[in-house]
Amino acid sequence: MQPSRDIPLPLVLGALLLATGLGLLAAMLLSPVPRGFVIAALTGIKAALLVVGFMRLQRESSMLAGALIAYAILLSALAGLRIALAG
Amino acid sequence: MNAPTPTASLAASRPVAEGGMELLLWILVWSELVVFGALLGAFLLLGLLDPPALALLHAQLDLPLAGVATATLLGSGFFAARAVSGRKPRWNLVAAGFGGFAFVALKLAAYSHEVPALTTVESRLVELYFLITGFHLAHVLFVAVIILAVAWRPTPLRVAMVATIWHVVDLVWLLILPVIYLG
Repeated sequence: MQPSRDIPLPLVLGALLLATGLGLLAAMLLSPVPRGFVIAALTGIKAALLVVGFMRLQRESSMLAGALIAYAILLSALAGLRIALAG
Repeated sequence: MNAPTPTASLAASRPVAEGGMELLLWILVWSELVVFGALLGAFLLLGLLDPPALALLHAQLDLPLAGVATATLLGSGFFAARAVSGRKPRWNLVAAGFGGFAFVALKLAAYSHEVPALTTVESRLVELYFLITGFHLAHVLFVAVIILAVAWRPTPLRVAMVATIWHVVDLVWLLILPVIYLG
């Protein structure tokens, strides 16, 4: 049985799919600077959702899970920065 | 001092923590992320240094197909998470494994038109693209086979371990997407 603090899995999947769709739309429609920012933000949100919503391991060590999310956000931010700088 | 604990329910709710597996899994998770992080960092750098090669690569990539592949992999991760939560673990693992195979099929379909167009191009960036996505594809294929093997005889510990690795493969793809495809 899931602890009550868990986010319902269908909700996590729905949010991940929505964020993926928005990311693809942003890649096709926006100019470089807002595109970089939106894609970095959406990727960071997706990484956090995946770790918190799907990975059971995050319950065992919230510090390491937080580091995992921070690492993913760092890579997302670098990707967003490259998009904003180079188009 | 051993305090009386409901061992069976503890084993069912926290299987990963048993036998030092938690530490082993964290080491594996970070190893994967550090390796892919280094490759993606190199791709970002080469993309800045060689914009024409990046434009050439982007012209050949199929963004809608990458979106469908992402949705497939995320759906597969959903089934793996359901298996861990104890809902029909065998059938959820089978669904997760076949989701992985569907991702492999989609990626091979993408390669079928990318490879002829890109293999004639001499560029480190293109080589890195095939290295990163090919390495990730090999992970998906390998772990999907392991998932099906675990589905044969699922135990809470095995299900939790294989699902964790599957989520790492998902997470790596979520990072590949903005670095390679959405840029």
